[in-house]
Amino acid sequence: MTRIRVTTPLTAPASGPGPESREAAQDSDVGQVFVRSLIRSQLRLALVVAGGFLVILAAFPLTLAAVPGLAESRLAGIPFGWLLLGAGIYPVIGLSAWLFVRSAARNEARYRDLAGDR
Amino acid sequence: MNPGVALAAVAVVSLATAAIGFYGLRISRTTGDFYVASRTVRPWWNASAIGGEYLSAASFLGVAGLILLSGTDALWFPVGYTAGYLMLLLFVAAPLRRSGAYTIPDFTEARLDSKAVRKVTSLVVVLVGWLYIVPQLHGAALTIRITTGLPSWAGSVAVVVVVCLTVVSGGMRSITFVQAFQYWLKLTALALPILFIIFYLAGTGTPALAPPAANPTGAAPTGLYQNVSLLVALLFGTLGLPHVLVRFYTNPDGQSARRTTLIVLGLLSVFYLFPTAYGLVGRVFAPGLARAGQADAMVLLLPGELVGGVAGDLLSALVVAGAFAAFLSTTSGLVVSLAGVISQDVLGGGVGGFRLAAVLSAVVPLGFAFMTDSLALAGSVGLVFAFTASTVCPVLLLGIWWRGLTDVGAIAGMATGGLLCGGAMIAGAVSGAANIPVWLAQPAAWTVPAAFAVMVLVSRATARRVPGTMPRVMTRLHTPERPLATER
Repeated sequence: MTRIRVTTPLTAPASGPGPESREAAQDSDVGQVFVRSLIRSQLRLALVVAGGFLVILAAFPLTLAAVPGLAESRLAGIPFGWLLLGAGIYPVIGLSAWLFVRSAARNEARYRDLAGDR
Repeated sequence: MNPGVALAAVAVVSLATAAIGFYGLRISRTTGDFYVASRTVRPWWNASAIGGEYLSAASFLGVAGLILLSGTDALWFPVGYTAGYLMLLLFVAAPLRRSGAYTIPDFTEARLDSKAVRKVTSLVVVLVGWLYIVPQLHGAALTIRITTGLPSWAGSVAVVVVVCLTVVSGGMRSITFVQAFQYWLKLTALALPILFIIFYLAGTGTPALAPPAANPTGAAPTGLYQNVSLLVALLFGTLGLPHVLVRFYTNPDGQSARRTTLIVLGLLSVFYLFPTAYGLVGRVFAPGLARAGQADAMVLLLPGELVGGVAGDLLSALVVAGAFAAFLSTTSGLVVSLAGVISQDVLGGGVGGFRLAAVLSAVVPLGFAFMTDSLALAGSVGLVFAFTASTVCPVLLLGIWWRGLTDVGAIAGMATGGLLCGGAMIAGAVSGAANIPVWLAQPAAWTVPAAFAVMVLVSRATARRVPGTMPRVMTRLHTPERPLATER
């Protein structure tokens, strides 16, 4: 295992010099354009995934409220309302997260190609 | 249950925690080790550690207790605790890792180029940490009192002593191993007993005592405002928790920070199935546990109540061990992150300062815990999330995604959110749980937007104060590390 020596925190890591290629990317105007477009696409992606998730989340209790008797009907002895809210939401969370991680990495790969940062 | 068995369980968990801590001591030598485990922790280890640290007394005891009391309304707690991590993944995980900062104050100082912002952020982070440790100590006090009959203070003191010993001896490196171990311990300690109970009930054909929809104490169903406000607090509070954020610095790069969070989401989803199962089984087969006024102890009492005998004692011991793992892991995670902040900002850094700060971070909340009474654990932790969502969350989100944030705006926003939410918490504590209006009991729905609005408006008004370093910092936050630095 390689040991990475970390400098003391008070040297404000974020404003210190970083890897040259990342610094180079921002020195030119064109570089800044690429950076801005990367930030915009990542933000849009995050907002879309968050929004989609929240819509599905709201749909769960609304469905239960809208369909009378659905919450009390049983699946394997467990009331459906409990199954939906107690277990059914987690796969939705996992799927949203997985989609986001994949798309975010793709956005970054596109940025690398554009900025010639490899 | 048998007090001897419970004490033995507590002793074993405390010893195991200390032992892993001391084992970590041998490979923990530099200042970097003490703060962030040298950033060489693998995603699976790191994810288990994050899960271990995050699943607190509220998750282990409080969620099941609340489900016992109020049924499906309480299911929003585990859902919110998990979905909060989704928000963290979407908006914070990779940029925060790429910022290269160790703590939230490091981040805000670097982003806004301002010492004043750093001071205010540090104050808020220390407050959040202390507020969050108090319910852990209440949980420990409750567990010790219920299961061993010893006085309540013994539980809180035991947690503080074990945490101080492990943190002072090993720092984050050993904490990572301790936390990872404790996630799996907590999962086992919750899953095995409830599965046993379910098979036992099915095997003996125990009759149901109550329908799952009936609230055992006749608690009124929560309204729409309460559920929405709670979700706002949990979704936006998680991404500002100091002990959660400090973990992200131990990922080698931004992409692995995302992968780690993805694993964490899986671990949390599996874990929360079990408190939900306890709550449901408790409502149907042991509704009497809620009427005793100690719903938070339901997870501890259920095996003895439904199974009994030697098997019940052994299962109870396992649950007690898991509960103590929860108090220890969350408290030590918080103590490490608080100690990082206090030692850098007050004591001037270094390993000696870190150790002193660690003791300070654990002993102050112990005083709070002695002075206050235990509320419902999930509820009091929910309020801490509301406070975080009104203070740290806006400065993080706007700092990462909005170029226009200024130091004055950040301070004004954090002050607004902190005063509004803190005021609501104090008003609620003073007037008692029974007679406060819902908008004070669950303040997040209006304090979070207020903090965001003030932060944006004041930043707009002071737009000339946007620091010159901003483009450089934004580039660093969002651009991927060089492929050389990533795996594969």
